[in-house]
Amino acid sequence: MSATTSTAAVPPSADVRKSRRRAEREAERRAQRLHSGLSGYWFLAPFAIVFLLFLIWPIVYGLWMSFTDRTLIGTNPGLVGLENYIEAFGDAQVWQTLWQTVFFTVISTIPLVIVALVMALLVFTGLPGQWLWRFAFFASFLLPVAVVTQVWGWMFQPDLGLFNTWLGNLGLDPVGWLTDERFAMWSIALVTVWWTVGFNFLLYLAALQAIPEHLYEAAAIDGAGAWRRLFSVTIPQLGRTTWLVLILQVLASLKVFDQIYLLTGGGPAGTTRSTLLYIYDTGFVNYRLGYASAISYIFFALIIVLSLIQLFNRRKEA
Amino acid sequence: MGEIVDEVRVELPDISIDRTTLAWGAPYYTKLAMASTGGRAPEAAVMHLSRLIGYAPGGLLEPFDMDMLEQVGIRESDIPAALFERCLFQDEMYALPLDTHPFITFYNPAIAEPAGLLNPDGTLIEITSPDEFLDAGRAMADVTGAQGIAYGYLSDPAQAWRLFWGLYGQSGAEYDFTPGQDVGFDDGTAVELLEFMQSMLDGTVAAPNSDYGSAIANFTTEQAGLILSGVWEKTSLQGAFPDLGGSPVPVMFGTPAAFGDSHSYVLPRQLTPNPARREATYEVLGAILKQGLTWAGAGHIPSLIPVVESPEYQDLVPQSNYAQAAESIFLDPPVWFAGSGSDFQNRMCQAMQTALQGLGSARDSVDTMIREMNTFLATPAPA
Repeated sequence: MSATTSTAAVPPSADVRKSRRRAEREAERRAQRLHSGLSGYWFLAPFAIVFLLFLIWPIVYGLWMSFTDRTLIGTNPGLVGLENYIEAFGDAQVWQTLWQTVFFTVISTIPLVIVALVMALLVFTGLPGQWLWRFAFFASFLLPVAVVTQVWGWMFQPDLGLFNTWLGNLGLDPVGWLTDERFAMWSIALVTVWWTVGFNFLLYLAALQAIPEHLYEAAAIDGAGAWRRLFSVTIPQLGRTTWLVLILQVLASLKVFDQIYLLTGGGPAGTTRSTLLYIYDTGFVNYRLGYASAISYIFFALIIVLSLIQLFNRRKEA
Repeated sequence: MGEIVDEVRVELPDISIDRTTLAWGAPYYTKLAMASTGGRAPEAAVMHLSRLIGYAPGGLLEPFDMDMLEQVGIRESDIPAALFERCLFQDEMYALPLDTHPFITFYNPAIAEPAGLLNPDGTLIEITSPDEFLDAGRAMADVTGAQGIAYGYLSDPAQAWRLFWGLYGQSGAEYDFTPGQDVGFDDGTAVELLEFMQSMLDGTVAAPNSDYGSAIANFTTEQAGLILSGVWEKTSLQGAFPDLGGSPVPVMFGTPAAFGDSHSYVLPRQLTPNPARREATYEVLGAILKQGLTWAGAGHIPSLIPVVESPEYQDLVPQSNYAQAAESIFLDPPVWFAGSGSDFQNRMCQAMQTALQGLGSARDSVDTMIREMNTFLATPAPA
């Protein structure tokens, strides 16, 4: 108040009054923005809490555990520094399961991309009975893994299974679909393709429907036949989707666990044991949580590196 | 067990009993360990006796008070000595066995009889060598027109080990599983046993590629006259043949022994112990054990000697015919990583599977087993 009275002797000019009003309005707006910004955080809070509690905290806690000899049944973990990591790098099982995981990723990802594309093209190009095909191609994806492995387990059954009965009818020897080291991983990949291809099919179908019609018209006017249109219009236009499907599929296949756990338990002779199954066995069956965490972090780092390489390649292309 | 607990509820109306059944195997033990470390352990839990050594040192279990057990009518002398010995850790009793469940043979009299394998009283004739066992299989195969013996081992985390380890016990061979050292294991005997198992899976004596489910199916559809399985299958098999026969696994390698284990009660450590609840727990467990006859109805051999010796039990057929298997039960080696539902059993089975399918030699499989054993022994114990 005193300041106002002291300056009141010299009335402010119109310009000063205007700029003061402007400043006041600005401050008011800023306060409003701040207020609405704060309420935004409230909307964010439920997600942020869940995110911190169930993602960030376990990541930090797991990292800490990987430097300890924590077990599931012991109570006082001691810090062991990098010992777990050193052990993991020298553990033949880590490398073997990693190789098997990569092998599974390769043999499952390729058909999961190609078969999904072929299925989507079949539906898109106007196979009669569209709704049935759409449903049939996607339906298996809706089944829980326990059902899928139960059904396929019966079909793969060595003595009485459907496949070996067919082979027998053809006069061929039975195959140890899940019990022969040469075939087990391929059988798991087959189940995985049958079970999950529907999702990729859906992504491709959506992408196909988004290709502008005029591209096909222009190609047709230029005299392109069906195959030429497929290879020069459709497939290039699906580039982004293929990239997306590929990345999602590689990440999903690297994380393979359920179907292996239920179908073979990692056998025969450990040939279908994936990295995650080894981590599970180490942590939850043999109770070495610290060591299991260390292997998890090595695997985590590998996936991050892979993702970064893909991201980098994508940027370069763009 | 539901029936038993219902009876105990009537017997002890002042005690409220909650009961949970979980899926068998590794997930069960994970849940038990996590409930205990997480401070939400049940007052009592069932555990395979062979797993005790992996738990007791970790401080997850509390020992039984022998005086309190006596107050509810259970004495040390009521439990078979060999079983009781495995219940001890550092001279304290950490497990209270409810039963023994050995690996045995069930047979179909309608096939065993024409094959000339039954005594006049309907029991299985004595088989004392591997060759006699294979001959018995061939004789039953002649009757069935398919195989003689059903034995499923493929894609299973325990079956191959159950037969192998029981036969290892029969051979009388030594073993030494000392953590931190290489395993002491008679590889010559192991190769011999595995070769015997290979010779059994020749398509006549037994099917070469059978899993657990198809072995049961082959037996119940009379494609085989005898099945190598556990007492736990008694109820389902008797559903197919009311006159089902049972006997211990024939002593083919000298010493009576069969793989087996025991469902035993343990007391998980409580963060805030409640003496009244603990006392009630002893009463309930005492009452459950005395209901051993009901439990025996499911095929298991009750742990309490007075129950097994009772005339009521002796009237149970085929249970009383195989009850003697409990006396020579051969448990997994007493190390933290072995026992029912363990990764160890699974790895042993996977190593044997290659030889049993004829995809590799018995020697190679035994080498793999020894390598795996040494890996486990070199791994620090989690407790």
